[in-house]
Amino acid sequence: MLDMAEEKDLQSTVKPKVTLRDVHVHYGDVHAVNGIDLDLYSDKVTALIGPSGCGKSTLLRCLNRMNDTIPDCRVDGEILLDGKNIYDAKIDVVQLRARVGMVFQKPNPFPKSIYDNVAYGPRIHGIAADRTSLDEIVESSLEKAGLWQEVKDRLDDSGIALSGGQQQRLCIARAIAVSPEVILMDEPCSALDPIATAKVEALIDELSGRYAIVIVTHSMQQAARVSQKTVFFHLGEMIEQGDTTQIFTAPREERTRDYITGRFG
Amino acid sequence: MTDYQPFEHEQDDTGVDWNSPEMQARLHRRNIGDRFFRFVGFFAVTASAFFLVFLLGNIAQKGASGFLQTSIEIDVAFDADILPDPTNLEKDAFAAAVAQVNMQYLIRQALTNRFPEVTGRRDTTRLTRLLSSGARAQLRDIVIKNPELIGTTHRVSLLASDEIDQVVKGNTDVSVDEANRKLTDMELGWLQSLESEGRVTKDLHTRFLTSGDSREPELVGVWGAVAGSGLTLLVTLLTAFPIGVFAAIYLEEFAPKNRFTDIVEININNLAAVPSIVFGLLGLAVFLGLMGMARSAPLVGGLTLALLTLPTIIISARSAIAAVPPSIRDAARGLGASPMQVAFHHVVPLAMPGIMTGTIIGMARALGESAPLLMIGMVAFIVDVPASINDPATVLPVQIFIWADSPERAFIEKTSAAIMVLLFFLITMNGLAIWLRQKFERNW
Ligand SMILES: Nc1ncnc2c1ncn2[C@@H]1O[C@H](COP(=O)(O)OP(=O)(O)O)[C@@H](O)[C@H]1O
Ligand SMILES: [Mg+2]
Repeated sequence: MLDMAEEKDLQSTVKPKVTLRDVHVHYGDVHAVNGIDLDLYSDKVTALIGPSGCGKSTLLRCLNRMNDTIPDCRVDGEILLDGKNIYDAKIDVVQLRARVGMVFQKPNPFPKSIYDNVAYGPRIHGIAADRTSLDEIVESSLEKAGLWQEVKDRLDDSGIALSGGQQQRLCIARAIAVSPEVILMDEPCSALDPIATAKVEALIDELSGRYAIVIVTHSMQQAARVSQKTVFFHLGEMIEQGDTTQIFTAPREERTRDYITGRFG
Repeated sequence: MTDYQPFEHEQDDTGVDWNSPEMQARLHRRNIGDRFFRFVGFFAVTASAFFLVFLLGNIAQKGASGFLQTSIEIDVAFDADILPDPTNLEKDAFAAAVAQVNMQYLIRQALTNRFPEVTGRRDTTRLTRLLSSGARAQLRDIVIKNPELIGTTHRVSLLASDEIDQVVKGNTDVSVDEANRKLTDMELGWLQSLESEGRVTKDLHTRFLTSGDSREPELVGVWGAVAGSGLTLLVTLLTAFPIGVFAAIYLEEFAPKNRFTDIVEININNLAAVPSIVFGLLGLAVFLGLMGMARSAPLVGGLTLALLTLPTIIISARSAIAAVPPSIRDAARGLGASPMQVAFHHVVPLAMPGIMTGTIIGMARALGESAPLLMIGMVAFIVDVPASINDPATVLPVQIFIWADSPERAFIEKTSAAIMVLLFFLITMNGLAIWLRQKFERNW
């Protein structure tokens, strides 16, 4: 088990976890994402930045096929997870979403107990053999999400009784409970206050390296703080991608510079 | 008020003069409009409250006496020569033997003993008609229960006839000319004489709540109709609820949004507005005509009402399902839940209070329906309380309709009393719906 994980880690430093090749997304006649080529790595946090409506969320939702349920949304091009096209007819969406977890903009815990929130994923995928191992999964997931100390005495309380920041960390715990390989985060801090944001950012930092993390954010500082790689979008097109330090200190493109210095957005 | 200037700089920038006469006039007009609307609204609410109170008060005032019934106490000689000897008889055999006895004879004897001056066949018959035709059965039950009375004379309380009952309750005007009323002066004289001895009593009439229909107003009960309504609604609930909820789940969560589902949707909404008697015709044609089910039975009635409530349940269930925030669906889907799991683990449980509320309201509407049930023969005169969904039965609103249509004066109060029973059930069901809604009300 450990060997395999190590092996994977070694590979992933060279081989991308997710590869996008000429990805186009249409909503009916709206061309929301226009020809994206991008590699995402297991040991890196990738930040997607760009003005509102430039297609960041759309692209993110392609990575675990959450766009499937939107009528007249069409995805063209190739998205490869470990070299396999996730839009292939043979791919099972249910399994894909277990491997590619998602955290949403607004914290959306189930109106169930904290325990059941975290245990839901393992339960439906049959990951835990018995109650004890389910308990272990719940505990370690909450631990990883930095929430265990705060909630260990009230696992039966409702998830929606937590504060906004705790709810978002609960959602992260819920996502990592099914041991995903990729975690997608769509503006995970935009509904949180600065202190809760700091905690979630620290958590992302903690988790980086173990999962391929893709985070959409509106905050330049956040992208600079948490990510190793940054991708800048504008009007559905990828303008520039590169190491976060390079993007923020020496952007190659005029539009990137204008955006990160706040001249438009 | 007039020298209040909220945006002092505004006058310079945009040329708006908040103190100009036009502005003041406009403000004044707006305030008047506001006050007028408040007044009209208040008037409308008061008027409807008044009508409601009037209606309920009227029914309660008329119906309250329907729960009471007049009885007359007479001294019956339990003649050992006529009645069987209980000492050497089994319980059942004794009861059977008592049932053979002409109780009317004992009653006539008791009454002629009290009024020895009454002779002749016609007057004696009149005399016995002071009591209800149900008095015989009452007397029989008394003997079966108390065999030790045989051989003694005992004062027993027996139901008065409906005409006497109405006079005692003051519902019949006895001051009109003798030819224009049912009771003669002689009969009223007997009544007065009995009243002066304190033999006439008004008691709580439990029979009204425990027995079925009858031709005699003093013997009727709503229980047959309540049981019929209960069985009918049971059939309605067991068919309309699952079908309606599954249809709503399918339409909201699974159905593709296309022309076909649009048409289905429009038709469901239209069905909710179809007059209920049309559903009765449908039930008549399909359940009785095509499928040959038993007439007048709760099974057919329930299925017909299920057709009627189905659109209500589907519409309310759909709106309850649609009100579940999409973020919950996203959360479950994002974890890899299949569409079925999203629907049944998350959406339906959260929508359940709304679905239940809609169902109860649909059931309450079904409980109040009479027209479609008339079409399928649930309007028959049925004395026995139905025990299964295939027994002939009637329902509360139809029972009310039948009684309201009966000529006897005493049926007026029975009609109102039955309406009170119906309203009790309706208010209970609506109360339950409100309670459910408040208990499970959620803020996301
Ligand atoms: N469900 C949808 N149906 C149709 N158009 C959509 C939908 N979602 C997003 N869009 C359009 O796609 C474009 C990209 O949107 P989005 O991915 O949400 O942008 P971002 O997350 O970068 O703000 C926008 O023009 C938006 O109007
Ligand atoms: Mg977005």
